[in-house]
Amino acid sequence: MRVLESWVGAPLERFLDESAARLVLLMTTSGQVVAQHGFTRSVDVMSAAALGAAIMASTAELARIMGSPRFGVLVHQGAEQGMLLSGFDTPRGRWIGLVVFGPDTSVGLVQLFFQQFAEEIGAAAPPAEPHGPVLAENFEHDLNASLRALFGR
Amino acid sequence: MSLVNFTAREITCKIVYYGPGRSGKTTNLQYIFGRVPETRRGRMVSLATHGDRTLFFDFLPIDLGSISGFATRFQLYTVPGQSYYNATRKLVLQGADGVVFVADSQARRFEDNLESLQNLQENLLDQGVDVRQLPVVFQYNKQDLPADLVLNREELDDALNFRGVQCFTADALHGSGVFETLKGISELVLRKLAVGGVAE
Repeated sequence: MRVLESWVGAPLERFLDESAARLVLLMTTSGQVVAQHGFTRSVDVMSAAALGAAIMASTAELARIMGSPRFGVLVHQGAEQGMLLSGFDTPRGRWIGLVVFGPDTSVGLVQLFFQQFAEEIGAAAPPAEPHGPVLAENFEHDLNASLRALFGR
Repeated sequence: MSLVNFTAREITCKIVYYGPGRSGKTTNLQYIFGRVPETRRGRMVSLATHGDRTLFFDFLPIDLGSISGFATRFQLYTVPGQSYYNATRKLVLQGADGVVFVADSQARRFEDNLESLQNLQENLLDQGVDVRQLPVVFQYNKQDLPADLVLNREELDDALNFRGVQCFTADALHGSGVFETLKGISELVLRKLAVGGVAE
């Protein structure tokens, strides 16, 4: 399990224990990863987050066009595993959860425990702390070296 | 906005390639995908039509490595260029840390470039983003075409680059200018993290 902010860790572990989910990904509405469990490559996590955020964004837009309130939960049920996507509000903005689960649990349980998890996260979030500059002033040297290495130059 | 993990010392930034249809946005990402070692990039996700036109977006995550002690990753997106896909363009633009405007240098696409640039400004404004505060670079693509078909850098600057931001001529199909463009926008996006504070 990897979490961007430590206060997400305990509620997420509880959710994993209770729901028996296989994979969990928490992301912002712009597809930035906040926490994940079960993925092996970080770059695959980013792809899944981009797609999950896109599904939620396009569904919200469809709801708007139809004059409906946005859909809180989306479920895709496959033969061997299912996927639940759900948006929820936190003091840090709106987040999206993507949960993959197998036949050892059910969509109802996953949804129930996810709702509890979302409430816990909302209550646990500390206020955002401002930080000074993140990178050193002379970061260009590292950047140039990294890009040259990436492009084989 | 950039996500910064101070504990794990990681930075993730979102860069969107914007521009009119068939200007070469997807081609930029395809070239980068082909050049970057497999260990430093993810799969390229393309949500496209049967005719290979971008329907929703292309997505390519790349791992830049360590910058000032932070493991730095870029998420590269393209938007669908055709005018009737504006709803999806807006969605992809959400939370962008920087924009590469890929213009088609062909003289006959002059109006399409202007329309797309205007559309970018409108969509950013809708999201409460002032384009003057967002890192943006221009790429004048297809400069490899015969000179009588394309506008040169000065002509395109006059028409599009009102703010005098960085611009790069390119032939994305063969890779010319792709690296320089990515380097240009990377510097601008990371410069904001070097001078400004962010929320954890």
